[in-house]
Amino acid sequence: MSEGCIRLVNLQKRFGAQEVLRGVNLDVPIGKITVVIGRSGTGKSVLLKILMGLMRADEGQILIGGANITRFGDRELLKVRNRFGMVFQHSALFDSMSVFENVAFPLREHERLRERELAARVNAALASVGLVEHGHKDVHQLSGGMRKRAAVARALVRKPEFLLYDEPTTGLDPIMTAHVDELIRSTQDSTPGLTSLVISHDMAATLRIADKVAMLHEGAVIFEGTAEDLQNTDHAAVRQFVEGRLDGPIHL
Amino acid sequence: MNPISAVGAWVLGAVEEFGQYTVFTARALWGIVRPPYRLRNLFRQMEFVGNQSLSIVLITGAFTGMVFAVQTDFAFGRFGARGLIGSTVVLALTRELGPVLTSLMVNGRVGSAMAAEIGTMRVTEQIDALESMAVDPVQYLASPRIGASILMLPILCAAFDLVGALGVSYVATQVLGVNPGPYYARMEWFVDPDDIWGGMLKSSVFGFIIASVGCYRGFTASGGAEGVGRATTRAVVASGVAVLVVDYFITVILAPMSVNRA
Ligand SMILES: Nc1ncnc2c1ncn2[C@@H]1O[C@H](COP(=O)(O)OP(=O)(O)OP(=O)(O)O)[C@@H](O)[C@H]1O
Ligand SMILES: [Mg+2]
Repeated sequence: MSEGCIRLVNLQKRFGAQEVLRGVNLDVPIGKITVVIGRSGTGKSVLLKILMGLMRADEGQILIGGANITRFGDRELLKVRNRFGMVFQHSALFDSMSVFENVAFPLREHERLRERELAARVNAALASVGLVEHGHKDVHQLSGGMRKRAAVARALVRKPEFLLYDEPTTGLDPIMTAHVDELIRSTQDSTPGLTSLVISHDMAATLRIADKVAMLHEGAVIFEGTAEDLQNTDHAAVRQFVEGRLDGPIHL
Repeated sequence: MNPISAVGAWVLGAVEEFGQYTVFTARALWGIVRPPYRLRNLFRQMEFVGNQSLSIVLITGAFTGMVFAVQTDFAFGRFGARGLIGSTVVLALTRELGPVLTSLMVNGRVGSAMAAEIGTMRVTEQIDALESMAVDPVQYLASPRIGASILMLPILCAAFDLVGALGVSYVATQVLGVNPGPYYARMEWFVDPDDIWGGMLKSSVFGFIIASVGCYRGFTASGGAEGVGRATTRAVVASGVAVLVVDYFITVILAPMSVNRA
């Protein structure tokens, strides 16, 4: 048993008649960036939510440091979540608060800080995503891409051990995409022990930032390897996805 | 499906739903008493429930008192008991109309807003976001709303009673020409502080019902804007009915206590 991984073992999840996850096995190495790719609707977001304990799996285990968190009660889960930060696919910012207050929220909840110290941390997080001068704005005054960046800042601000990003760059312009990719990479490199799990559709970014890539297809992981392995694979479905071709084993 | 199993399925569904509501409410109440205490959230909700409902409660209270003065005069005038208008209406106001009408007005405004606000947070994953930040969303969202409603409804009810009593007295003595001397003497004789306390206690229970049902419906909303709309409607209807049903039972339980004192 490797201690250096979050292990997902045979995770299964169905919604009514629809089997979304049919036995996902995946090792997410500690201290690295793992990128999960896969077609829209294959259950990538569901996988992240199960990992955060926001949804319960029907079957299977999630092992963190040897403990199976799928068995945890509410109180233990709360403790585990303290070690996680998550960027939701649709940002999920609190629309009753300003951008600044959104980013300050996890700090106010969990850390006793002086107002000045708090402002410094929040502004540093906002600066890392280029939003310092937008802190006073309400969430509904932001563009979609700005929301996404604010969500990244909110996830980063407490410096968690595990960062989960659900399509952090979808909907951003190319320069901002490169910037957020760079942010994910530099956060990773400057934080020893940080584990990042990124869901992405962006192949170029995947190749740029990933230490490990896994592809989810029809409810299971059909490919695991390095970015280099991904480029050289002869797995037909993976190749088709990576190259974005219409002809191949995957049909619409 | 045959009718019997349809009824059976409906009953089972209702029982299960009530069970889930009970668990949710217990969690929210426990969230009020255990740390962390988010007083700012509580005050904000108290302001929302109390302050912002005050004007509609005052207007409803004044006009309810006034119209009941006219109607009671119509009945009591027939057997020359007009001096009792004040005490009768004020008893009805403090014991019954105050708590129930205040709650129904607040339900329309506050219960619906709670269901809509929390429901929107549910369908836009803001509740998941709270949870992902290791914050108990029931304690964060439902506890202050329920606590604020339990505290503020009695105050609104007392305000309703007060303006209602002023409304009756004005109409009785100034419009209908009842002699003020006996009017106020009888009122003092008939109306006991326990009537007022009992009414306020009832309204506190109603506040609890309105807020807990509104929050529960919000938390269980699903399916976009339409789902939020559905949750809101169901919250208001269910709370309104529950207030009237529970009112009957509380009244039956409280009644013997007030009979004893007479
Ligand atoms: N709460 C839910 N109830 C019912 N079905 C759901 C629910 N959440 C997700 N699904 C279904 O599970 C499947 C996977 O959804 P998911 O959001 O995980 O896709 P995804 O891989 O993240 O896609 P995308 O790349 O488009 O974000 C979809 O078919 C979706 O309809
Ligand atoms: Mg998704």
